[in-house]
Amino acid sequence: MKRLLGVALGVLTAIGGFLDIGDLVTNAVVGSRFGLSLAWVVVVGVVGICLFAQMSGRVAAVSGRATFEIIRERLGARAAGANLAASFAINILTLTAEVGGIALALQLASSVDPRLWMPVAALAVWLVLWRVKFSIMENVTGLLGLTLVVFAVALFQLGPDWGELAQQATTLAPSGTETWPSYWYYAIALFGAAMTPYEVFFFSSGAVEERWTAKDVGQSRINVLVGFPFGGVLSIAIAACAAVVFLPRAIEVSSLSQIVLPVALAGGKLALAVVIVGIVAATFGAALETSLSSGYTLAQFMGWSWGKFRRPAQAARFHLTMIVALLVGLSILMTSVDPVKVTEISVVFSAIALPLTYLPILVVANDPEYMGTHVNGRATNALALVYLVIIVAASAAAIPLMIATGAGA
Amino acid sequence: MTIARKTHDRTTYEKDAPQPGRVLDARLHLLDRQLLDVDDVPVTTIDDLEIHATGGDADPVGGPAVLTNLLTGPVLGTRILGGRPPSSRLERIAWSHVRAVDSAVKLGIHGSQLDATWVERWVRDHVIGRIPGGRHDPE
Repeated sequence: MKRLLGVALGVLTAIGGFLDIGDLVTNAVVGSRFGLSLAWVVVVGVVGICLFAQMSGRVAAVSGRATFEIIRERLGARAAGANLAASFAINILTLTAEVGGIALALQLASSVDPRLWMPVAALAVWLVLWRVKFSIMENVTGLLGLTLVVFAVALFQLGPDWGELAQQATTLAPSGTETWPSYWYYAIALFGAAMTPYEVFFFSSGAVEERWTAKDVGQSRINVLVGFPFGGVLSIAIAACAAVVFLPRAIEVSSLSQIVLPVALAGGKLALAVVIVGIVAATFGAALETSLSSGYTLAQFMGWSWGKFRRPAQAARFHLTMIVALLVGLSILMTSVDPVKVTEISVVFSAIALPLTYLPILVVANDPEYMGTHVNGRATNALALVYLVIIVAASAAAIPLMIATGAGA
Repeated sequence: MTIARKTHDRTTYEKDAPQPGRVLDARLHLLDRQLLDVDDVPVTTIDDLEIHATGGDADPVGGPAVLTNLLTGPVLGTRILGGRPPSSRLERIAWSHVRAVDSAVKLGIHGSQLDATWVERWVRDHVIGRIPGGRHDPE
């Protein structure tokens, strides 16, 4: 019974933890501009993150070594250093977007200027990192994030023309005035939002935090393989809501208030309150995960003592790194930059950085010296190779497409 | 322990005679590996290695050599950017403290006994340890 509860809890937190500000913004923007014609990318992204997270979790559980220790060991100091610089910068960008997302959601609830909420949000994130146990932090934000299910409920309440939505989802081409380059640009953005590299740092380091062993691999596989696809369904529901409300009116989503508007239209004030709770929980959870990831990556590269299972004083440089990362993110936000814009940029850069983390994990997951009998099976490797091609192609195409489309404008 | 060294021009060196026990490749098994202390607390990543000729020569060219110290600290910067810090600035961890080489390298002593961990201690004593709650377990 206890075991069953454990599995249920793991699956539920994986669903709630799947969505972050990147998924919210990108799916709504894409829904409002392309309808469901890019829904297939969410499916590709979800399969990819399942494969990738499951692999990095297994490597961490079996070898006890987290992702960036392995990257350093395999790539050497110089290449891993370059990798660290890129991953760390993108991580800070994502952290900035998440903290901004918390502030925007709180603004919706309170009408207080988001720049007043940002320091409060950053302080709250730090306090949780400083004092709250890893498992409690994970479970509370994950379960509260489940309230984003309201997007799926709202979609039914809106009473859309299901035939029309199915038609959009099966037409893999830009509609109306949209061009192919922007179509592919947003395909890469959606892919990056679903597969953000910080989730992998977080997942593998989390396996060490929670002291997983080879025995826990099965449980983690269930969490990922059941939880993430449900998260993907919620992503598509967000896009569908935007497609129903905004696409016919040719309105492009550019703010958080627009992202929640379909929910408010469908369910009124109560649904709006629920969705705001969900967004705060999802962005808060992701802000915790990205702050931790900045600490994890740097500490693992340098070989410092790290982890929330230790007292802060016993992982001093790890905690100092997270404080500095939060302060940097907060200062970026204080320049009055639009957090929604930061989010749009961060998901594309995440897609660019994917090969940096993906390849070393794939190599180590096949190394019997680390993995013993738990090396990748043939089917996993075949799928992993297909994804390697997709990831490299997305990464290489992202910058040219960004320039060609003026960042999707 | 003697180690087989890799060079770009291997033909100039004679192959080491077969050794009893396990052969470690300095690059593959030691460089850039995580170093843990006796309680499995991370100490550092092994940034570089110091080797001496068996005769005691500090700058061996060819011939058998012995691994004397694991290095950390500023040597990471010079490994990435090139060059070499002066010998006085190397932060050394004696190879004799090493107990096991696995997916991480394990020491037989506490990390706090090492000079090389001074930065961690400094940050703990001057920054993190001074913030309220910094010395308590998370709840």
